[in-house]
Amino acid sequence: MPEAGDRAGAGSQPAAWTGPYAESPSPLFAMAGIVKQYGATRALDGVDFDVRTGEIHALLGENGAGKSTLMHILAGLTRSDAGEIRRLGRPVSIGSPIAARSLGIAMVHQHFTLVPAFTVAENLALDAPPPQTASLSKRLSARFRYSASEAAERALQRAAALGWQLDANVRTADLSVGTQQRVEIVKALATEARLLIFDEPTAVLSGDEISELFTVLRRLRDEGCAIILIAHKLAEILAVADRVTVLRLGERVASCTVAATNADQLAAWMMGSTLESLPAETEEGAGTQLPQDAAQSPPIGASHHFVADAIHVAGDRGEHTIRGVSLSVRGGEIFGIGGVDGNGQTALAEALVGLRVVTSGERTWNGGPFHPGSFPATAYIPQDRRQAGLAVTMTVGDNLLFDAVRSPDFRRGPLLKARPLRQLASNLIRMFDIRTPGLDYAVSALSGGNQQKIVVARALHANPEWIVAMNPTRGLDIHATRFVHTQLRQARARGAAIVVFSTDLDELFALSDRAAILSGGVLTEVASGSHKTTQIGLLLGGMEQKP
Amino acid sequence: MSVIGGAVLGTVTMATPLLLAALGENVVQKSGVVNVGLEGMMLTGALMAIIGTQWTNNPYLGVVVAAVAGAIIALLFGLFAVRLGANQVVVGVVVNLMALGLTGTLSRALYGKQQSFLTATPLPHLLWNQTLLTLLALVATPMLWWWLNRTRGGLELRACGEQPIAAEASGVPVLRVRLMAVLFGGMMAGIAGACLSVGDVPTFNEGMSAGRGFIALAIVTSGRWNPWGCLCAALIFGCMDQLGVQGQALGVNLPHDLLLALPYVVTLLILLSSSRFSQAPASLGRPYRRA
Amino acid sequence: MNESHPMPSQVPPLTPTQGDDLSRQPSLWKRALLVALRGFLSFVGLALLLLLTFVVLRIPPLKAMQTLWEGAFGSAEEGHWYALSATLVQTTPLLLTSLSIVIAWRAGLFSIGAQGQLLIGALAATALARIGEHWPAVCLQAGMLAVGVTGGAIWGWIAGWLRTRRNVQEVISTIMLNYIAQYLVSWLILGILREKGGHLSESETLPGPVLFARLIPMAWSDGIQTSLHTGVLFALIAVPVIAVLLFRTPWGFELRVLGQNAEAARVARYPSNGLRLQAMTLSGALCGLAGVIELLGSSTGSLPASGFAYGVGFTAIPVALLGGLHPIGILFSSLFFGALTQGSRNLEQNAGVSSVLIYIIQAVAVLTVVGVRAWQARHTTGETE
Repeated sequence: MPEAGDRAGAGSQPAAWTGPYAESPSPLFAMAGIVKQYGATRALDGVDFDVRTGEIHALLGENGAGKSTLMHILAGLTRSDAGEIRRLGRPVSIGSPIAARSLGIAMVHQHFTLVPAFTVAENLALDAPPPQTASLSKRLSARFRYSASEAAERALQRAAALGWQLDANVRTADLSVGTQQRVEIVKALATEARLLIFDEPTAVLSGDEISELFTVLRRLRDEGCAIILIAHKLAEILAVADRVTVLRLGERVASCTVAATNADQLAAWMMGSTLESLPAETEEGAGTQLPQDAAQSPPIGASHHFVADAIHVAGDRGEHTIRGVSLSVRGGEIFGIGGVDGNGQTALAEALVGLRVVTSGERTWNGGPFHPGSFPATAYIPQDRRQAGLAVTMTVGDNLLFDAVRSPDFRRGPLLKARPLRQLASNLIRMFDIRTPGLDYAVSALSGGNQQKIVVARALHANPEWIVAMNPTRGLDIHATRFVHTQLRQARARGAAIVVFSTDLDELFALSDRAAILSGGVLTEVASGSHKTTQIGLLLGGMEQKP
Repeated sequence: MSVIGGAVLGTVTMATPLLLAALGENVVQKSGVVNVGLEGMMLTGALMAIIGTQWTNNPYLGVVVAAVAGAIIALLFGLFAVRLGANQVVVGVVVNLMALGLTGTLSRALYGKQQSFLTATPLPHLLWNQTLLTLLALVATPMLWWWLNRTRGGLELRACGEQPIAAEASGVPVLRVRLMAVLFGGMMAGIAGACLSVGDVPTFNEGMSAGRGFIALAIVTSGRWNPWGCLCAALIFGCMDQLGVQGQALGVNLPHDLLLALPYVVTLLILLSSSRFSQAPASLGRPYRRA
Repeated sequence: MNESHPMPSQVPPLTPTQGDDLSRQPSLWKRALLVALRGFLSFVGLALLLLLTFVVLRIPPLKAMQTLWEGAFGSAEEGHWYALSATLVQTTPLLLTSLSIVIAWRAGLFSIGAQGQLLIGALAATALARIGEHWPAVCLQAGMLAVGVTGGAIWGWIAGWLRTRRNVQEVISTIMLNYIAQYLVSWLILGILREKGGHLSESETLPGPVLFARLIPMAWSDGIQTSLHTGVLFALIAVPVIAVLLFRTPWGFELRVLGQNAEAARVARYPSNGLRLQAMTLSGALCGLAGVIELLGSSTGSLPASGFAYGVGFTAIPVALLGGLHPIGILFSSLFFGALTQGSRNLEQNAGVSSVLIYIIQAVAVLTVVGVRAWQARHTTGETE
């Protein structure tokens, strides 16, 4: 566990600061009233934020709270719709990453902007500004004889000054993730930045590496840098940050010094006290049993039982993403899996539906063999609809029928039964309220939310027994979200066993009968009860629940 | 000159156009673009070399004309495949067909009746029966290797082919770099075509490049995107080509046509065995659209 | 139909003004009109392109257009049948090979192997003809068709296998196979399949009854033998067959999804590698059929050592692209190309214009189509998050 390090200058900071930015001593950068709208969603709704030199300011919030968006605006990757940014009191405009760099802002991304095939020296050299050598002949010769190691020299020295021994000649792809991150950090430092923004830097690090990172952060702070740390791990924030600002659903909920707060308080701010007071979805008329339903299609059977026993799943590059996960889901039950993106959700989900092999461990269905697709009838809603869920150049009708064309119900000999298929597609459009003028429009013309509805409609309509859904309501407005939740509940009522992955905790707890948090490739089940929210927050924040 | 010696020199001669085209394509692919239109650019270069040589009575100027012609075709390719971001393979195939048809009919129109291109002077043989172009190819190999691996420009180009987002974030103009690479590749292909037409006996036949543009693509792959590897692979293919032309004279006991088919069979076999594209530039073939 | 869905009335009514930002699309009638308009405009565009080319080459444009038309479709004085049949003879193999391109490219496989597959089909048929010299004509003809289709199918299968099992890009492998096919043909034709006299570089001529019959009675064309043969029927039948296969069968559906988004096909559990292999095999079979048909439709039925059906396999690609990779579209674009080829011959003979312009038209037309589509892809709004 990283320990709280010494904090130079901690005494000079005011306690429990929650006033508007205008009252603070001139910060290095100050953002005021930032608004960012994506279609129907307000990602940021009038957020104020500032950071001073010589401080580590943590930005806390769960997925979708707006932290990345806010920082992308500061780093010039995106522009805000409203609000202003000031540097040392003077307004500035940050239109591009290059502009941000010239203002002394550098961002260390979660997904590194390194070239995997390059050596460390080459990656550092790529970003290094051209040498300011005076003589013409030297500059000319530099064109013909360029050594990446030389160009990277300054960056490498910076690394050494931080206590990191970077081997300049190793291929970046061969480095451990922690070392890659160091290269990314050094790249940022080499641009002579005064403000460093770190996007979830500890997400990919292990215990020792995290402590080392924190030592570096403190040293940088002591040298006078301003550091913003986007994070969700509470223990780390408490250990290294000086101040923390909590965002929730695009709004700034709280801002104070770390000394003045604790984990529970932060967790509560992060989750929001409204969790328990969410308007009960189960009171919707559509959610309760419909007599017609019960008569027309008897429930599949409460005897369904999926069991995964200590499965290990490899990630896309063969790494150990899922380590020894066991879970058990029964028919008529929704099992929710929460957790921040990047903890192995896709690997686990694909393993649960048989799209990915398990390197060890077993999956069984009803105690017997597990052949998803045929036995049990499976439905899968993938994480990325554009990449894996839809063929965006094909029509809405076609996209709704991906699975229907495989069913013998819609075949007459070698041919497809065109009219029943179209009928099915238009029924689905009506039932799921997919906003499209008709069946024959390309999916690319639809909004993201409607595209998601296509994926959901396709998955749920054929009465599957085993359903795995990843963020099924992503991009949907509140009514459509409730509709999908209703559909999932009805599937549950019909006896299906359902697993829902969601980064939205409200959704997770509205839907699930049982829930667990996936963090670092390990699944931890969450007990229901009154201390639920804090426990979740702590788990999400990577801390063990207190007994 | 001994038979073996003659065969070796013949191999080098036949390898030259392959190597020139492959070196150009090596640079192009390192920048992340697949140029399937290599064949068409070679063919265009071949024809324009003859025409240029006749105009100027100087085969070297003919080569220059060929290089320019190749670059112009490449510009067309680059506009669609790089700037517009259209499917690189489709555009390449179309460019090929266009060049095939254009050169064929143009040559028929110009040279159909008379064999008038015999008035063009061929490239003079310098040393060991090799032309300047062979020298060019052999010098270009280490030079291109050096440029790709030991200069800033090469670093930036390689970044475009591996991770264009990272390159763009570091201020490299990815689309411009790729376009420049494509022009260079077209120029080299044009020169390779000149090698075919004015390298020895000045001649032009429809489709005379006979798939060498595609063999050059295979050379880049089997040479693992390294100019030295391209040299080795080009020599192997040149050897196959040589066997095809002179095989029976050299005592190889296979029917003439099967010998001619040898380079293509060997290409398939080599591609079959080196199926792991682990060395390919990571973003090869993917159009880059500025966010 | 699944009864377990809630009836729409039980779903809470959704207010129509929720943030979904759909671009307004016109009604079905309007869209059909737009498609027809676009088709019409593209032909007008092509005609304009032709006119422009003539102007640039300093040829009187209207006269040239007329010459083109007459070359393709005949004139009132000289009768239509001769020209028309020549045009259709040009169109026949083009139709089949471009259908084969459609199948492959729709599966996401950029096969350029039509020419080689065509040659292998013709070669296999020729080999059978040698073996079955004394068979009854009907048997031999049927056998040649079967063997030709199979030969082409195998040639396509090879490229498919190389791609699915060894990840060899089909762009390169099909080209290599083209050349190998070409040399196989010349080796065998100049060798064991050579005509008995040993003087000509081609295979033995086939007896008349084996060849395809001529469709147009000589009386219609002023006593001149026209070349339109029954092979054209195969080509015309293939169009609706392939259209049904692509758009009305489960196989075709899965194939199209695979070509549009291979990852989505994987997630939907489609047998991707199997589909690819089958697509290449079918693609090869269609070209093999084209090869045999060209052989049986010719006047002698002998396969020359080189230059058989020259360029047909390659022209198929622009034809396929211009036809929007759709069988119906290909019907029109192949007819257009056939007419253009025929007409430009007339132009060459009567007006001295070299047929280079066909290639210019081809290339410009296809590049325009490709470019427009790429430009559109850049500007779709898509996700807003």
